Amino acid sequence: MNRRRFLAGGCAWCAGLAPTLALAQSLQAQQWAAPARFSRPDAATDEGGLWGMMDREESRLRRRPFNLKDPQLQPYIQDIACRLGAEHCPDIRVYVMRTPFFNASMAPNGMMQVWTGLLLRVENEAQLAAVLGHEIGHYLARHSIERLRQARSNMAAAQIMGLFGLVGAIGQLGVAASMMAYSRDNESEADRIGLLLMHKAGYATEEAAKVWKNLQLELKERPDGGARNPLFATHPAPEDRQQELAALAATYQGGTPHDAEWQKRVQPFLREWLIDEIKRGQHEETIALLTRLARDIPTRPEYLVARGETYRLRAGKDDFDKALGDYQAALGLEGVPAEAYRGLGMIQRLREQPAEARTNLLRYLELAPQAPDAGMIKSYVEELKS
Amino acid sequence: MRKLLVVFALVALSGCATVNKMESGNQNIGERMSVTLEGAWNHVALPNQGPGQTWTMEGLPVDTLLIYSGLKDGEAIHRPGAGGQKSFNFRATMQPDEIVGLFEGFLSLDGSQFQLTKLEPATFGGEKGFHFEYSLVRKVDGVTLLGMGYGMVSKRELFALVYQAPRLTFFSRHKDRVEQIARSARVKT
Repeated sequence: MNRRRFLAGGCAWCAGLAPTLALAQSLQAQQWAAPARFSRPDAATDEGGLWGMMDREESRLRRRPFNLKDPQLQPYIQDIACRLGAEHCPDIRVYVMRTPFFNASMAPNGMMQVWTGLLLRVENEAQLAAVLGHEIGHYLARHSIERLRQARSNMAAAQIMGLFGLVGAIGQLGVAASMMAYSRDNESEADRIGLLLMHKAGYATEEAAKVWKNLQLELKERPDGGARNPLFATHPAPEDRQQELAALAATYQGGTPHDAEWQKRVQPFLREWLIDEIKRGQHEETIALLTRLARDIPTRPEYLVARGETYRLRAGKDDFDKALGDYQAALGLEGVPAEAYRGLGMIQRLREQPAEARTNLLRYLELAPQAPDAGMIKSYVEELKS
Repeated sequence: MRKLLVVFALVALSGCATVNKMESGNQNIGERMSVTLEGAWNHVALPNQGPGQTWTMEGLPVDTLLIYSGLKDGEAIHRPGAGGQKSFNFRATMQPDEIVGLFEGFLSLDGSQFQLTKLEPATFGGEKGFHFEYSLVRKVDGVTLLGMGYGMVSKRELFALVYQAPRLTFFSRHKDRVEQIARSARVKT
């Protein structure tokens, strides 16, 4: 961390100047005006070269099987990005990528990637708009070009590649890959622009701080407590970011979160995204995430069943009891997934409660006759008969 | 695919990997398992590769046969550290779906998409075990692989084999050969 900036920042906050700084930032943001649409740079320039590189990456991205080309979901997310981008809308192309990590990124040519791990984690349109607005903020402020030129001077061009979509290696970090390589100043500016875009698009700006607050709940459950996360080393800590965004949001009141519309639109994909989340095998983080979602959206049985499955697979002390509690609670809600019955049956089978186990496993087979594990479950049912 | 080939070519050229021919006939895998091969395989030994043996017909990374012989309770199915923050450890009390979940988690660590297509009871190593099939879209190059596996737990140890290869051409080319190995597997009780 820059020592001078740290001391200056720390002193300012200690002196109780935080509201003043936030106000100053908000005034700057209010004065900020979106640039006109960008025209394609000359291919012979450094910027033109970067665009060309991103164009090639985009054509690869289009063909990748991870690209969710769902005819309902993609236009919906595109529309949210468009509302934020306003006159830049025609230049923004959203790709929803099926990858279970928190990430979104935007390249200077207008290619925007949104990962399903992010979609699972946000609770309303406004929270997604906070992340997309932030990425559009980088785009509008042309931070990637700035970084390209800096990278050239310090021979760290590989860092630039980390900005856009070379995501596999960094995905496990569970944070936005695109946020890695920008400077703190860039990040703060993108946060301010993003918040202003949210406000102009009619979204509730107080939701932006919640994104970081929610992320902290998961990071704290990592084996290293999030301490080794590069986010903490090179960027404002989520706590600081949350506070700054909350202070800024206080000057941009109004707007709506659009909870109901969001939950309706993502409902068809929840089961798949939750399965992807459980597969990560990061049980503690997943339990923290699902505890938060089950608390905030208590009408959805999917979160309870997914948490039950996570407890069952972790199989630690009392985990089976916790899993049973979640499955049972989910059964009281409408639209319970078949996996609730399977989970109950599997635990009851291990606990030598054959009648209950058989009933629940049969119910699972009835609800999901084509399930991939149907053959195995049928063998358990047979075994429990005797 | 090109990126992967370059990585594996570099590894091979640098002398880090050794390849041994596994001849037809009886082969002992570890202390308790044996298989009968009808045709030779390549056994690739990589430094710090973990508890399983890696075999291939076409060469890595085209097709891979992972063989586990006697993985003990508490041991990871991968080399130390390969699981990132998470270690995918076998527990002797695991049910078949949980063991498949271990492979699923391990094989999709890099963000690859694993889709289980079948899990059913099967005999393996002469004992009651399980068989599973899956598809995997590899993150690094978007190639779709098909895979299958067999497993069983004996005396609190895991015995398993998992084979995967690109859906186009390669999986079907070697599927029967892998099935034959699975049928031939015997575990000393």
